[in-house]
Amino acid sequence: MAEVHIIGQIYGATGFPEHSLFCKWGIHTGGAWKILAGEREGQSQVDNPVNHEAAFFAHPIDIHFATKGLQGWPKLHFQVWHQDSFGRNELYGYGFCHVPTSPGQHTIECPTWRPSGTYREQVTQSFLGGGPQLKNPDLIYSSALRCKLTTVAMGTVHLKLGVILRNFDKFGIEC
Amino acid sequence: MTSNARRKRKDERLVQSEDEEEGISNPSMEGDLPEMTGTDSSPEMEAAEADALVKTLKTKRRKKKKELADEVISPKDDLARQLKEAKRKSQQKIEDAEREEMEESAPMSVVADDGTLPMPEEEERESVLEEAEGEEVRRLRKKKEETEETLIEGPPGEEEETPPPREEEEPPAKPPSPVPKEPSDEMPSKSLSIKEKMRMRMEKAKEEALSEVKEEEKESRKERRLQRDKKQTTRFDETKPYIGSPHASFEIDENELDRITEEKRLQRLERRKKMPAKGREGFQMPTAEEAFDFFTREWKDEEKEEVEEGVEKAETEKAEKKEGEEAAEQEGAPKPDKPEDEQPLITQDDEMVSDLPTMMCAAYTPDINEQIKKEGEIYFVPSAAEIPATQKVGADFEVRRLEDEGFYVGKRPSAGSRNQNRMEHRLLKEIEKGRESSRAWFGEDGSLLALPDPLRSLPSRPPMPEEVEPVLKLDYKKAVIREFDSRYIDGTTEGIGHYQLDVDLNQVFFTHHHLYSKEHALAQKLTSLYEQYVIRERKNMTAYLGEKLKALKNSALHLQDHIAAHKSEYNLTDRSNYDRRLQDYRAEIIQTRQQRDREEKTDRTLLRHILATWKAIKKERELQTFTNTPVKLQIRKEDGNKVEDERVWKQEVLAEIEELRDEHEREYRRNMLTYEEEMKRYQNQIQAKAEAQKRVDKRRKKIGSKQSIRSGAEDDEQHEKDLELLSEADLTPPDEPSHFDDATVRESVEKKARENRRRPGEPKLHLELSNTATITPTQNCNLDEQRRRADVSKCMIFVKILFNNKEVSRTNMKPLSQDFKVSYGQIYSMKIVQWPESIAFQVHESIGLGSTLVAELCAPIPDTSVTSVSVQLEDLEFSSDRKEKLNRAAVGSGMPFTYGSDNSQLEILMTTGILTYSVAWAVDEHGQALVPPALVNANTMFTHMKKMDPLAAIGAAGVMDLKKLADWFASSHLDPNDPSNADIVYLLRGKGGDTSHLTPAEYFRLEQLMVEFDFVTQQELEENKRFRLIQLRDEEVQEFKNYKMVPAHEREVPRDVFTEYERKKREEQRLKSEGDHDIETQRMAVKRYRQKIRDQVMRRFRRQAHMKNWEDMVKEDMVPNIALLGTSLMKVFARRTPLKPQRKKQKKVVAQSIKGDEVRIIVNISRAQNVPVRLSAAMQAGSGAVTSRQDTRPLEQTMVRPFVEVMFQHHCIRTSVGDGSNPSFNEELEVPFRAPFDDYSPGNLQTVPDAVFLNIFDEVVVDIQEDDRERGRMVHQRIEKKWLGSLKIPFTTIYFNGKIDGTFRVNAPPVLLGYVYEGLSHGPDDIGINKDLKTLLGLFISIQPPLTQPEPVKERFSTNEDEATMVQADQWKEQISSRFTPKRELKTFVTDVNFKSVFITRYFRPINPPDEFTGKGPELVARYVSLIPFVPDAAIFPGLCDIWNTCDQFLAMLSGDEEEHAILLVNYFLHMGIKAWLICGNAIPEGPTAYVLTEEANVHYIWNPSSGERFRTNDATCPLRSIGCIVNNENIWANIQPYDKPDQMMYSLTETSCWEPLFNNSRRNPGLQSIQPERLYYLQTDKDFVTELQEKIQHVLKNKVMDWRSRYITRWNRHCSQIMRKTLPLLEESLGKSVDQDHIKELEASFSSYKVSGFPINMPFTEVDPIVETVYATGVHGHESNEIEFALAVYVHPYPNSVLSVWVYVASLMKNR
Repeated sequence: MAEVHIIGQIYGATGFPEHSLFCKWGIHTGGAWKILAGEREGQSQVDNPVNHEAAFFAHPIDIHFATKGLQGWPKLHFQVWHQDSFGRNELYGYGFCHVPTSPGQHTIECPTWRPSGTYREQVTQSFLGGGPQLKNPDLIYSSALRCKLTTVAMGTVHLKLGVILRNFDKFGIEC
Repeated sequence: MTSNARRKRKDERLVQSEDEEEGISNPSMEGDLPEMTGTDSSPEMEAAEADALVKTLKTKRRKKKKELADEVISPKDDLARQLKEAKRKSQQKIEDAEREEMEESAPMSVVADDGTLPMPEEEERESVLEEAEGEEVRRLRKKKEETEETLIEGPPGEEEETPPPREEEEPPAKPPSPVPKEPSDEMPSKSLSIKEKMRMRMEKAKEEALSEVKEEEKESRKERRLQRDKKQTTRFDETKPYIGSPHASFEIDENELDRITEEKRLQRLERRKKMPAKGREGFQMPTAEEAFDFFTREWKDEEKEEVEEGVEKAETEKAEKKEGEEAAEQEGAPKPDKPEDEQPLITQDDEMVSDLPTMMCAAYTPDINEQIKKEGEIYFVPSAAEIPATQKVGADFEVRRLEDEGFYVGKRPSAGSRNQNRMEHRLLKEIEKGRESSRAWFGEDGSLLALPDPLRSLPSRPPMPEEVEPVLKLDYKKAVIREFDSRYIDGTTEGIGHYQLDVDLNQVFFTHHHLYSKEHALAQKLTSLYEQYVIRERKNMTAYLGEKLKALKNSALHLQDHIAAHKSEYNLTDRSNYDRRLQDYRAEIIQTRQQRDREEKTDRTLLRHILATWKAIKKERELQTFTNTPVKLQIRKEDGNKVEDERVWKQEVLAEIEELRDEHEREYRRNMLTYEEEMKRYQNQIQAKAEAQKRVDKRRKKIGSKQSIRSGAEDDEQHEKDLELLSEADLTPPDEPSHFDDATVRESVEKKARENRRRPGEPKLHLELSNTATITPTQNCNLDEQRRRADVSKCMIFVKILFNNKEVSRTNMKPLSQDFKVSYGQIYSMKIVQWPESIAFQVHESIGLGSTLVAELCAPIPDTSVTSVSVQLEDLEFSSDRKEKLNRAAVGSGMPFTYGSDNSQLEILMTTGILTYSVAWAVDEHGQALVPPALVNANTMFTHMKKMDPLAAIGAAGVMDLKKLADWFASSHLDPNDPSNADIVYLLRGKGGDTSHLTPAEYFRLEQLMVEFDFVTQQELEENKRFRLIQLRDEEVQEFKNYKMVPAHEREVPRDVFTEYERKKREEQRLKSEGDHDIETQRMAVKRYRQKIRDQVMRRFRRQAHMKNWEDMVKEDMVPNIALLGTSLMKVFARRTPLKPQRKKQKKVVAQSIKGDEVRIIVNISRAQNVPVRLSAAMQAGSGAVTSRQDTRPLEQTMVRPFVEVMFQHHCIRTSVGDGSNPSFNEELEVPFRAPFDDYSPGNLQTVPDAVFLNIFDEVVVDIQEDDRERGRMVHQRIEKKWLGSLKIPFTTIYFNGKIDGTFRVNAPPVLLGYVYEGLSHGPDDIGINKDLKTLLGLFISIQPPLTQPEPVKERFSTNEDEATMVQADQWKEQISSRFTPKRELKTFVTDVNFKSVFITRYFRPINPPDEFTGKGPELVARYVSLIPFVPDAAIFPGLCDIWNTCDQFLAMLSGDEEEHAILLVNYFLHMGIKAWLICGNAIPEGPTAYVLTEEANVHYIWNPSSGERFRTNDATCPLRSIGCIVNNENIWANIQPYDKPDQMMYSLTETSCWEPLFNNSRRNPGLQSIQPERLYYLQTDKDFVTELQEKIQHVLKNKVMDWRSRYITRWNRHCSQIMRKTLPLLEESLGKSVDQDHIKELEASFSSYKVSGFPINMPFTEVDPIVETVYATGVHGHESNEIEFALAVYVHPYPNSVLSVWVYVASLMKNR
């Protein structure tokens, strides 16, 4: 019956090779969790900064969870996309992070990566855009097999999350 | 040799600097030059030579240095070099000697003069010969130089020291060298040796000069040392002691040591550089000057070429020498000697260091051949010649051949023998050198050791990159432009999934076609009749009902007997029970018989029809003399036994008559009883009357005889009674119930039997239809038929398949067969990426070129379970209303024609047909249906994740419940063989591990998901009220959508928060589940339907609303354009009119900034017009019956004292009292407004159901002074208000329009007791004043502060319309709307309930009004339409845009907006033959609305569809303020007149300057079909229900009135109520308009002693509550007095389809005192 309320924003993204980025996000929880209110996934606008090194999304996240157990603490997962000058979208990176388990304000940096693909794909990518994507995007946050992926490091997604916990102490969990 | 490289690098720099330094640091040398030139004895060009000499000196000096360095370095460097040097030197010596000899003997010179390019040997030789003479001169000169130089160089003592070592060197070098040289040098050429000699000599001279220079240099060393950094010393520093020690002795100084080593190093470097140059000098015999010049100038290039040449030569020479020399070298023993040779060299070197000047560098290879030879000595070139095995094995061992001895040796890997030999040579060489260990390389047989086969014997797999896990698979995606909408199943055009629909088009069969011949048409008819016949035959209802009848009769009889037999045994209840059963039987018997008769009748008529048609076919065939169709009807007659038949027939007739008789008797008995009773009464009366008459007569007599008055009183009484008796109406004698008339009954029964049944003796007919008739061949037919047949075969039919209104494929053109069938039998597969919305087929017909659309028909989108494996063909009927002329023998389509020859029966047939098809989801090779995943969350990105992860998809709860999981597993078509589903399969694996049947195991598991870690159970979580509240709020459920604060603790959540919601849910559930037996059954149906539509629409809307577009996210204010700027500038200069203040536009306030309680509605009431006046005032003298206050206070008398009361959300504010019938108020009233939940967001505001009520009252002051004596001193009055009329403006109207401004008609009752309109009372009617004058109210209503209006929902939804038409319409609209600044209402597309844009003209089609209105005037129809409750769309579909329902939907929902009313009215009018249009325009108070325009006899009328009122176009009181466009089923006309007010406009639509049609000659109407149903079916309203409702309303109202005035006693005046009740139907008949004066008169007559005020209210029935509210609003109850009496009458007039008109007549009566 404990509650977790996450209020925050996807602040921006830095370190990507190009700007004009947008970010898709989603939240993944275990079965014990129940969303009371709020959107559990979304997509930011395309930010194409002129003078900055970073893309700013300031995309709000506001989710209210109720849970009957600790298993499956919520994780946020991201897909950073790039929109090129032709208006085409290509994947720039996957990433995920856990929602902090302590209450209060948190600044989170979520590094992202993208699968590198074969040499041929890389060549295609550099000329034609696009790129390899995961067939199963749940790999983003399921760790078992991810180690076998060949990936390229991409930039970082910055988050500012405020976490409010409620009633956890009732069940003997100190936060 | 890294150090070497380093050195090289360094010296480049150093050399340069040295050169410079040399140039500078040797001034003495320069000073010497003239001396030298002076001493130069050469005859020519002394001056030139001086220059050359300078250069020469420089180079010389450099060379010298190098030489020195060479000598210094030699001991350290390899011995070979030393050796070479030594050899060279010795050679030089020899050559020198030879040269000297030559000089004397042969005066020839050989050296080529061309210094620029080194020549190949042959050339050189030639040139040598040519220039021999010149050369001699030069040589001589050189000699001189030499001598001179030596002379100069003489002084330094060091020089002397060098010759001795040279001399010393010679002897050891000499012996070996001449020997090998002799054979080679001898022959090549003498010239070469001569050349060499000369060169040598020259060099020697040079060297001498150099050594001299070196000496000089030594002097300048000190200076140099200063400039040089010590750090430049390298590892050679370490050689200092070794090299430097001799110097140390020489120079002593310690510092000098460094310098020397430095120097040496430099020299060494110098030498390195010059070495190749030295070699070159060999070929050149130029003059010294030229040579030096050359060398100094062209340095680098030469070097390179030289090297190349050297290599070449070396190669050639090598080849030459190969055999002899090599062998000699190896075999000979000079090698072992060499180390010995070197020994002295080293030591000598030591000496050389000490006496450098003597170290002549002439020891360099003088000749290329020499060099090669030398190189040949140094390098070892292993020969490829074979070596005897013995040599390899070694002398001590014997050669063994294992192979020969019989061992298996294996196959050696192949290698080139030459290579092998070379290798062996090399090894041998090593062995020779003493490394015996190298012999180990050789095997016992003398060949190199080798493994038999380097390849592995066993094949092994090379390491492969690990296979990628399927989960890790990557997918290369192209960069795509993503469509951000949900049209695509997977979000993009390049979906992930593969979804396929298979459309099977089997055949098209025309049941009528315009090329049908008459015979075809008949045959078709026959076929369809026959089909019916067959079906009926199979059912055989007649027989069944007959049997049933028999059985019923039997049981009835049985029961009767039973009752008769046991009559005494049963008590009363039992008996009545039996009676009832008997009664039931009887009723059923009657019913069944009726049914049977009906069935028989249909059978019979069907038979008759079939026969008639068959006859017609035969006739037709006869007439046309050929057969066209294969139909053939065979009639089998079964002759019946006439006698038997007769008997049965009679029996049946008899039985029936008997039954009827029985029944009649029962009836008769019943009737008889009543009859007797009545008869009795009648007779009694007659008797009584007679007696009374007698008595009266008697009395008259008595009076006549003047009897005593004593008995008078008694008599009087009697008399009165008698009189009364007599005056009583005579009772009519009752009719005696008729006796059973056997004859007539028999006749009727027989007649019926004759009609319906086979007559006795008539043969039974069995029909059989077959297609066996032979069709006459074409050539035998007449010309017309031949042509027809040709036409038929020319006619091609094809079908287009449209998916989501896009043509995806079409069938081939196939000719129509003669029996009008086209078979395709083809399956069209469509891979789809979009969600299927519609699948349609278009049947096209093409004759010749082009094609015409016959019909378009839609197929349903198959259910996900329908796959191409399981699907079955279905028939789809289609029809076309296209008219096709009949030509030749064909009948055409939509054209009247007749059969046969008689012209009596006209027949019109439309093209119809049947398409046989199937649509199903395809199945892939694994048997998996290619169905897209369920629609839910189709547009979210992580959906496919769920698809991949089954556990996530069902959630944890699903896992707990295995049953549920199993169900889900079965329903979701999961692949049980997919490894990712393995755990589920495991969980579900039933007994015996059988995976084909996945059922949960029948045991339970503890701790399925470690439940103990859970805080609470799932159920607790679900039931938490607070969570539920939050969730519902998040889901935007209407009740909780705007719930602001959810309490923090569950205990604080109000307990009843969900009751309302749950009730509603239950209600909905109930509505969905059952058709309740409520009295309001139809109402319920309506509600249910409305709910369904609402749900549907809301769902769609929510989807639409959550799809944001650019405008939703980015708010950009329009940049004011130049035109606007102009107008605003104009404003500055505009004339000020202070008396006409302009209303300023206020800034909108956003919802968030509103706190509440500051929002108010401002109602500005300016004036009222034409308020009815009190009858007393108006008709003072007219009627005496009216109350009469006038005599008491004639001066006070006012006609009326009206005021306006504004009521909103239970707030009531009133104006002051105005005066007279046209009062002016000019008052601003403020009513506070509170939004539900204090949420002022547009979404919430537009659902506010409240309305502003504006009531006009008359304030009446009633004097209630009890005592006349106090009149002078006291005023005791009561103020009463009398309702005169009201105006209701919904809040949403105000909200949407922002403000409402204008003069409104007040809804006044048709009859207002006690009041009359002034216009009516004054003057005659013919003045032109409109007869039905109404009260008008001038108003201005606005909201303060202005609230933001809701964004209109995106108007354009997906559509089924033709693209071209849409574009056309858009252009047209754009073009017109840009012309007028206040935008005119132009509508081209509207949204239907399916959220599709539909072309507006499609809404029109003549539709039949209810039958009882046929022949009645349009007013009645308008009234009917207006009685359908008006509910704004915003209330039905909260938060939605305007949705247009079709008429059937409208009638089914029984509520709608203006446009629904208007459309229905237009359609009715069209059906009635009245020209009608729909007006899109603006009206008050509705805002944008729809009215109806009609034309009757060139007079145009405007109808308000929601009130049923009619206005002439020139009526100024018409609420319609502007007309934007008018629409009918054919076209849209936009108003392009300068004015848009209805009374200023022209209405002739042909006038192109006034009206611009959308479709004209250039833009053709594409033949838009109406979406309205062809006809409407009306249900009769249940009369019982109506009366019940009437009672109910009356009851409720009475109770309510009593409630409202609970402080007082409420009395009801029944009499008045009765009178009023009588008048109400009259009012309804008069359509609630014209006032029937008679009834008022009646009322007045009856209640002359009362002051009556009251009125009838009329409204469409929706529910009871609104009626109560309306009555309350009139304030009738508000008389606070006990004396008052009330009268109430309710009348509900039923119209078809449960449209009810409710009349409520309320009045208050007060006794006049």
